[in-house]
Amino acid sequence: MPNTQTAVARRSLSPDIFAVALALLAALLVRLNLLPPIKW
Amino acid sequence: MATSALATPTTESFTHRAIALVPGLLLLVAVGYAGKFIEQSIAAYTKANHITFPNIEYVLWAIVIGLILSNTVGIPRVFAPGIATYEFWLEAGIVLLGSRFLLGDVLHLGGISLVLVAIAITLSLTFMHFLGRAFKLKPKLTSLLAVGSSICGVSAIIAAKPSIDADDEDASYAIAAILALGAISLFTFPLIGHSLHLSDKAYGLWAGLAVDNTAEATAAGALYSDAAGKVAVLAKTSRNALIGFIVLGYAIYWSGRGQAGKVGNKAVFLWNKFPKFVLGFLLISLLATAGFFAKPQLASLANLSRWAFLLTFAGVGLRINLRELGKQGWKPFAVGAIGEVFIALLTLGLVYGADHYLTL
Repeated sequence: MPNTQTAVARRSLSPDIFAVALALLAALLVRLNLLPPIKW
Repeated sequence: MATSALATPTTESFTHRAIALVPGLLLLVAVGYAGKFIEQSIAAYTKANHITFPNIEYVLWAIVIGLILSNTVGIPRVFAPGIATYEFWLEAGIVLLGSRFLLGDVLHLGGISLVLVAIAITLSLTFMHFLGRAFKLKPKLTSLLAVGSSICGVSAIIAAKPSIDADDEDASYAIAAILALGAISLFTFPLIGHSLHLSDKAYGLWAGLAVDNTAEATAAGALYSDAAGKVAVLAKTSRNALIGFIVLGYAIYWSGRGQAGKVGNKAVFLWNKFPKFVLGFLLISLLATAGFFAKPQLASLANLSRWAFLLTFAGVGLRINLRELGKQGWKPFAVGAIGEVFIALLTLGLVYGADHYLTL
């Protein structure tokens, strides 16, 4: 069971962390004016 | 929120997996942008011709286009990995949405949400187990339905399944029921909210507390108004934050009955189940409150969040497969549906109370 849980946790964690990392990177790029103003 | 294609273990190389995402991602962009284009075209036409016509948000158009495509011509398999990333964009969008909240508002509304969520979860879990017994459902299927409808939809079911050692069949029944009910609430909640003349905050809180999946809760909020969408995301995020505690409770319960593996370190268990985007959302909100971003930069972050949600809403529509949803057993759906109506009424009552006795 611990192995299964670890494997499941690893699988379910990755997209979560990638999404947070991408969003924080985008925020940093915006802060440093390295991205053009984003329009809607 | 654990179903993203990015999470699928595979021996394929990173490049192959990245290439496999491209067709579906392009479809998400096309469907989402088509929704935005239709909204803007109708608004421009009605304004130019002095026609009074209610603004139909791009959210609805994107979902409807996706739903029509998925249920008429069908979506070839090649698009599936890219479409599955819609939850990835949802999480990124929620983190960026933190820039539109002052931390004080997050703590105030988030605190109210947490109290209401705690009351709603306690009552709804009890009610779902009563229903499960009345309909003679398997106890673990009832547990999965209870977790799915009271916490966080499909993500909660996926998080709970290995922890309580539930069958694949039970999990797929529960997921199908929750998805079907999510699709129904997407279209019924805004109608009910308008007929009750709920304020943006009250409606957003209700959608965030009652609609199961985060994507559907975000969409149901945004279908009402931009402000309601913001509040719905905040309330739903508070609800998501509790997922680990509920799953841990069920894991200990089933383990105590000898029907699931032992729970090891509880802190590690909680951390593994905790949705990390909640922390990202709080961090961006903290930075925005501290003046880390200039005003035009905040506008850029808010717009980035909207673009991420655009892809999410396209994915929500493309995921709805009416034929598949119709194939599920009637009992899990009936239990889920009765439970959802109960939760919707309960949370509506709680929101009414909070709106009158607390300052939302």
